[in-house]
Amino acid sequence: MIDVVKLFKEAALEVDNRKLDEVSSSSIITQLGMDSVAQMELVSWFEERLGVRIPDEELSKVRTISDLRDVLARLLPPGTQIAA
Amino acid sequence: MTSVVDAIAACAGVRDRGFTFVSGKGPGVDLVLTFDELGAEIRRRAAHLRALGLRKGDRVALVVPDGPDFIPLFLGAIWAGMVPVPLYPPLSLGKLDAFMDALVSILRIAEPRVLATDARVARVLWGAVGRIPSIEKMVDVKDLALPAPAGASDEREPIDDSDLAFLQFTSGSTAAPKGVMVTHGNLKANCNAILYDGIDGKTPSDDVAVSWLPLYHDMGLIGCVLCPLVAKMSAVYIPTLAFIKNATLWLETIHKHRATLTFAPNFAYALVTKRAKPEQIARWDLSKMRGFGCGAEPINPEVMRAFVQTFAPAGVRSEALLPAYGMAEATLAMAFLGIREPLRTDRIDAAAYHGEQKARPISNGANSLEVVCCGRPFKNHGLSIQDETGRMLPDREVGEICFRGPSVAAGYYRDEEATRAAGMGTSGGWLRTGDLGYMVDGEIYISGRLKDILIVNGRNYYPQAIEWVLDDMAGLRKGSTVVFSRPGKSSEEVVVVTETREADLASLRAAIAGKVSDEMQLAVADVAFVAPGALPKTSSGKLQRRKTRDLYLAGKLVKSGTRPSSTRLLAARHAAVALVGRARHIARGWFR
Repeated sequence: MIDVVKLFKEAALEVDNRKLDEVSSSSIITQLGMDSVAQMELVSWFEERLGVRIPDEELSKVRTISDLRDVLARLLPPGTQIAA
Repeated sequence: MTSVVDAIAACAGVRDRGFTFVSGKGPGVDLVLTFDELGAEIRRRAAHLRALGLRKGDRVALVVPDGPDFIPLFLGAIWAGMVPVPLYPPLSLGKLDAFMDALVSILRIAEPRVLATDARVARVLWGAVGRIPSIEKMVDVKDLALPAPAGASDEREPIDDSDLAFLQFTSGSTAAPKGVMVTHGNLKANCNAILYDGIDGKTPSDDVAVSWLPLYHDMGLIGCVLCPLVAKMSAVYIPTLAFIKNATLWLETIHKHRATLTFAPNFAYALVTKRAKPEQIARWDLSKMRGFGCGAEPINPEVMRAFVQTFAPAGVRSEALLPAYGMAEATLAMAFLGIREPLRTDRIDAAAYHGEQKARPISNGANSLEVVCCGRPFKNHGLSIQDETGRMLPDREVGEICFRGPSVAAGYYRDEEATRAAGMGTSGGWLRTGDLGYMVDGEIYISGRLKDILIVNGRNYYPQAIEWVLDDMAGLRKGSTVVFSRPGKSSEEVVVVTETREADLASLRAAIAGKVSDEMQLAVADVAFVAPGALPKTSSGKLQRRKTRDLYLAGKLVKSGTRPSSTRLLAARHAAVALVGRARHIARGWFR
């Protein structure tokens, strides 16, 4: 089972040394205080961890953590369990 | 001296060197274009642009993310005498509104007749194009790569040094964007200075350059595309986004291609030092590198030393570090440290620097500043330090850095006032850089900044743009927010100082940081709250950004929750005492 919110917290801590306690799937990623470089590193962290590649043009559609989850869901092998 | 157009003409027949484009789509086959092939691609684009009805001097906007599309088109426009306007593509998370507003305000000034983009970006740009009356047509870069229509000429346009080559917009902000007018003479002077003075190179060059820099940025475009073109130097391009997502790709590519030159802002050196894994360092051979160029933002010597130390096992030497100083108004570069010299810094007395504007040498100590040496100005160019009246200052006195020579751009497009204020537009005049520094024995040290600009991760931001974003926020007073930067480890850091009466400062701080990162993709390092009326203002009521910054850095800013409240308390007590006294007085009178 892939929990994108949980992974997101792990990524923020690893990539940007940022402790995010109160994020949820509706949190807006660009409002979490990270700069554009850290945001892209975070995307890359997900790609590496989940073995997918998010096309560049998909990025401008990603606003919340649930948007990120939706993009990842489309890219992961069918049948992958993803937490709501 | 070779001009860019001469250099394009000289591409024909050069088949042993060229440009390589690393695929951003993951491991795959890199695209290689020899100079001979590049020359043919450039001519084809020139013919297409002419077939669209464009003529010498017409502007062409380029919002083109991919190098293999961008480079031949940019050069094709130059070859045909047109004026390309390279612009940032929208490549970040979320929101497009801020990007579109900035794009529209730039295009309204540049007035291009044609906007070239790719199919992906076109989908989001449609809305903006309708807001630019000058644009007759939006074209897909892929169509410009097809065989050119019959009858359209692909020959070079007759051009002289004073002709405009391209417009370089210096900031993505909507606050009065400024387009630097770079002429063919400017490009010729600066490329030749960089190649033969700066890096002591030759043509054809045996160097190999690697760059992940955006192609719409002066350092990426002039330094890493036009210079290699002029010198027939092989170059390898990494998509910017691929580097940001995985910084080690930069050094991996240098290793793979046995590269010798690269350029990047300070933050990239910090990022790659943090990200490289021991197994990579053990595997890489970076010993061919003779120029790790560092420019576009202030250089932190600790970052550069950590970089050398981390990658020394892979063959990186301090002599390979190449601190550089430049700006778009100088076409690109003004000074390089000697290509064979190790990183050199000057340690000065902080008190004398801030108090007397003097760079007095001091031995190690807590109250010292360390400033990186950026070397000498290029041949036929000059640097000087001047006070605000234009008087030349002697060695080790701090003032505004001024630059002159054939690399000084012709001015800002359609902005005579800003052109004059910066000292451009007259031949032989001094460009006022807005940077602070001092000289020692003909070498330049950049120590600070006069102009109100923030440079974060190599990109310039106007503080006004960030202040406007915060102006309408609940809890803040309109027109009472100041934004500036403070030195950080890997890049400059954003500081917000604002006047407020709110009690819940923690929530307000989080809201401010969230809004700035959402609208500007910038992280806020600190928010300082002051009482209403506490920000320094001029006699006419204008906020004084520099003074606020000086107070902040000196720890002398009176913050909310500390002194202002106790001052208010004191005032209240005074008023109460006065009232009581008055009451007594009156009472006494009554009872008398």
